[in-house]
Amino acid sequence: MSIFKKIFFIDFIKGLSLTLGYEVSKSVTMRYPDEEKWAPYQRFRGLHTLNRDAQGRELCVACELCAKACPTKCITVVPMEDDKGIGISDRIAKVYEINLVRCMFCGLCEDACPTTAIRMGRDYELACFSLDCAAADKKRLLAPREIPQEFEGGYVVMARLERNKEGINIKPDLTRKKRWW
Amino acid sequence: MEQIFFYIFAIATVASAIAVISLRNPVHSAISLMVCFLQVAALFILLRSPFLAAVQVFIYVGAVVVLFLFAVMVLDLGKERFGEYLHHQRPIALVVVIGFVFVMGFTILHGSLDAQLGNYTEKALVKNTEIMGKLLFTKYVFPFEVVSLLLLIALIGAIVLAMKEKR
Amino acid sequence: MDINTLIEVALIIVKVIFVSLILFTLPIPLTWIERKVAGHIQVRLGPFRVGPHGILQPVADMIKLMFKEDIAPEKADKWLFRFAPLFAMIPAFAVYAAIPFGDKITIPIINKEVTLYISDMNVGILYILAVGGISVYGIILGGWASNSKYALLGGIRSSAQMISYEIALTFSCIGVVMTSNSLSLLDIVKFQSGTILGFIPNWNIIYQPIGFVIFFIAALAEINRIPFDLPEDEGSLAAGYHVEYSAMKFSFFMLTEYVAMVTASVLAVILFFGGWDAPLFMPEIPIFWFVAKVGFFIYLFMWIRFTLPRYRYDQLMSIGWKILLPLSLLNILITGLFLL
Repeated sequence: MSIFKKIFFIDFIKGLSLTLGYEVSKSVTMRYPDEEKWAPYQRFRGLHTLNRDAQGRELCVACELCAKACPTKCITVVPMEDDKGIGISDRIAKVYEINLVRCMFCGLCEDACPTTAIRMGRDYELACFSLDCAAADKKRLLAPREIPQEFEGGYVVMARLERNKEGINIKPDLTRKKRWW
Repeated sequence: MEQIFFYIFAIATVASAIAVISLRNPVHSAISLMVCFLQVAALFILLRSPFLAAVQVFIYVGAVVVLFLFAVMVLDLGKERFGEYLHHQRPIALVVVIGFVFVMGFTILHGSLDAQLGNYTEKALVKNTEIMGKLLFTKYVFPFEVVSLLLLIALIGAIVLAMKEKR
Repeated sequence: MDINTLIEVALIIVKVIFVSLILFTLPIPLTWIERKVAGHIQVRLGPFRVGPHGILQPVADMIKLMFKEDIAPEKADKWLFRFAPLFAMIPAFAVYAAIPFGDKITIPIINKEVTLYISDMNVGILYILAVGGISVYGIILGGWASNSKYALLGGIRSSAQMISYEIALTFSCIGVVMTSNSLSLLDIVKFQSGTILGFIPNWNIIYQPIGFVIFFIAALAEINRIPFDLPEDEGSLAAGYHVEYSAMKFSFFMLTEYVAMVTASVLAVILFFGGWDAPLFMPEIPIFWFVAKVGFFIYLFMWIRFTLPRYRYDQLMSIGWKILLPLSLLNILITGLFLL
């Protein structure tokens, strides 16, 4: 039997057919910056978001519990009085800044927040050319995200690579899902 | 036309042959040897013998000189190891060379080196390989067998020399 | 010289230029195909970003190779280092002087018959094997001239490997020469036309299966493709003989490798698969079947490259000397007995 195997190169042919099978199978490559992007699960801990309630008021009451809970002390909160109804109470954050270089994305701020104002978002493209972007200020944290909170996530969506002066932006198209692998 | 080619190849042959013995670096010598063999192959083609030319390239250029290079590289014969090993042989060598050149020149000028033309026309020589094969196995079968036996003996001798004695 | 000879000479020059242009540009699609095949076998995509499906990737690579700094090691043998890539490249191209791509076609407008080969040598197969063998000098000399350990080891390995496998390669061709009674490639192909029993193509693979297996394995070793690519073994020799080469000199080595791969495929097709002979009553189209068969073999070489691991050096030697060489001698003997 083994001599038969040797003469007719049975193992060799088996190996070739295996690789041929892989050759015609679908590839696992995610064409990330160009056409596809991974939309993370809701539990993902990316760049933080500051949320608003249904009326569009800021949920943050500047209680500074997140800053206290933060193990790396990367959150700076400066409270101020406000009666224009920007926030849900008369106390809002004048400054809310997260130092992303120090932040380790543990999510303890999220747990500490009594009003669910701060949430870990799903943005993970945080690289940039200068240190300016290393500190996320209130404006950036409040801005609406490309992947909204309710979006289920956990699969690849089609995306478009956009280049402009500020850099590269990968715009996901959340309606076009694609099962990955 | 053919004369011009002949002189080009002949000069290249002689020049590379001189380079083989005069270059100090063994690898350069081996390359000159290869060039020399290639020119000889070209001369064979001019003599309407493409089979011999191909075999020349195949055996000598493709195998023998490669083995030379292999040996030179494995043994790492540097320039210094290749120094003067001539012990007072120069006068004798000179005499022999001058004598050889004299005899050669004499016979060439005398016209007694002319070989008799074979009975093959140029058209018949297209089947050159077939003719040679047939001749080797009919007319020249005895020398052919002797040569192959000699090669076999040399082969066995090389194996015996290279084999270590088993305890 | 009359006008007809002039036309013939001009035709030969045109053919030579045409063939060498094709050979020079051949690595451009071949590298792309090879990388794509590699990618898909490894369940990835391969080059994808330059042009649609990465089709312009080899062009980008070529531009990069052209403008890279050409570095020569300080202690290298300058002349040999410079000429070694040419030593490798010229024989690889010269082989195509004897390769027939088809029989004859008539160019429609001027109504002139053109042969699809540069020359029909009566010792074609010997010429190809001999000249193809010279290519190894580039590898050996390049390895030696670089004055680097890895390059030298690559060169030495290459020379030993080439001598070991050239014998088996030639002997496997002898079987074909014996059955078709000619050394000319054109005659070998013509001998293979027609069918047996009305439908099986009359190709040499039917008569010489052992010969083909030996030829294929030995050819893999001769052109340094993967199970036998020890001269450029990335695992143990960094990159083997071309470690010290960069820019255009390196690309010459790459070019040689791809041209050698095409040569091996062409030889396999001509010797064992009937050249341009169409299989199974398919219509006879000039060059098409030839190119299709050669393409299949090129794909096979790539396919094998990403299927098999590399042999060890002692395994390589024992396969060459203890298996292939006796088998090829046996093949000659069996062929001889059948012919009697």
